[in-house]
Amino acid sequence: MVLKLYGNLTAAVMRPYCVLLEKNVPFEHIPIDIDKGENRTPEYLAKQPFGLIPCIDDDGFILYESRAICHYIATKYAHQGPELIPQDLQKNALYQQWSFVEALHFEEESVGVLLEEYYNPVYFGQEKNPKLYDEHLTKLGKILDIYETVLSQQKYLVGDEVTLVDLNHLPNAMLLGAHGGTNIMQDESTRPHVARWFKELTSRDSWKEVMAQPSGEE
Amino acid sequence: MAIKLYGSLTSCVTMVMCVLKEKGLEYERINIDFSTGEHKSPEYMEKQPFGQVPCLDDDGFLVYECRAICHYLAAKYANQGTPNLIPPADDFKAIARFHQAVSVETHNFNKYVWMVTRERVIKPLYFKQEWNQDIIDQAFKEIDDKLAVYDKILAKQKYMAGDTFTLADLFHLSFGTTVIRCGCKSFEKYPNVSRWWNDISSRKAWQEVYEESKHYYDPIF
Repeated sequence: MVLKLYGNLTAAVMRPYCVLLEKNVPFEHIPIDIDKGENRTPEYLAKQPFGLIPCIDDDGFILYESRAICHYIATKYAHQGPELIPQDLQKNALYQQWSFVEALHFEEESVGVLLEEYYNPVYFGQEKNPKLYDEHLTKLGKILDIYETVLSQQKYLVGDEVTLVDLNHLPNAMLLGAHGGTNIMQDESTRPHVARWFKELTSRDSWKEVMAQPSGEE
Repeated sequence: MAIKLYGSLTSCVTMVMCVLKEKGLEYERINIDFSTGEHKSPEYMEKQPFGQVPCLDDDGFLVYECRAICHYLAAKYANQGTPNLIPPADDFKAIARFHQAVSVETHNFNKYVWMVTRERVIKPLYFKQEWNQDIIDQAFKEIDDKLAVYDKILAKQKYMAGDTFTLADLFHLSFGTTVIRCGCKSFEKYPNVSRWWNDISSRKAWQEVYEESKHYYDPIF
């Protein structure tokens, strides 16, 4: 049975969507509309008890949390497409290190920016708080300063090969430019290596296909 | 050369100390004094460019982010001390459930226990500022909502990633203990969460680390 990916194409759903394409794994995309409360139905909660998206059903194997799903797909299809998870002990430790930098720090500040500029005004009817917006943007800049140093010495965050860690940045990084009111990811004069890295990642066929989906810009 | 762990006795550092103890590893802890800004010194930022603790130096190999350090130690010393803190590599479904549980901790638990820690611990301890109880109560409410879901998960399995104790459980210990000290009651409210919490927090490794480290936060409680 073909793998099912549940969830409207939000940032979290774009992550596994992109990795499935990277690994050339056939799948069926089943939108779950949060605005209509489809994530709170008993059927969906039986799969994902927190009522969040995404979630996958791989021939009866149910899994949630976007980064865990990406890891599962990259592990199961390790020998298909790019490797994405380094196996060497020390390389893997650095992969884990950058995974938590992305999942905790990049996520917190980029979502903070998006919340103020986009999610709160558009979805929750709340006004933007310019002070909070500036705080998150400043903190995000400081994080990206470290990225700049690393990316001036190597092509990607863990080394010279692309890994899941790089790809997992894509949805929030793209949304910052599309709806976050900032060109922080593309600014070649401030952080040329971050801009180069982001440009390379967004030029991948997998990501271009994610962006070509009807709701890819949501 | 011994393992060196850099950091004062914060919740992030005691998390790593717990894994070192579970694995029976000798190590040297090198204090990093926040009050003198040692974590932002050029020497330290050479090791940890974000200027955060902890950081591990294993015979010259440097790694940071507490959960990544724990993962590295559990992988390198897989056959020593407590086994299977990470499920065996050939069982990719068990590994997948493990990463799911790790992500649940990161995004559904850490996010809110960190809110409490920042407000109730970091503000008074390092900045001598009053805490805002409204922010703490709001975070307690979020923790309570999430632990209600944990209760459903833990009704079907002993631990967060299945029926074996893994890092995904251990990651809850240091910050969970801290928010309980801050007044969070949700851990005893839900029967399956309570059973799980009593099980993992009574492990010898954590008990010893807690005894060794609790004095660090004593001034603010």
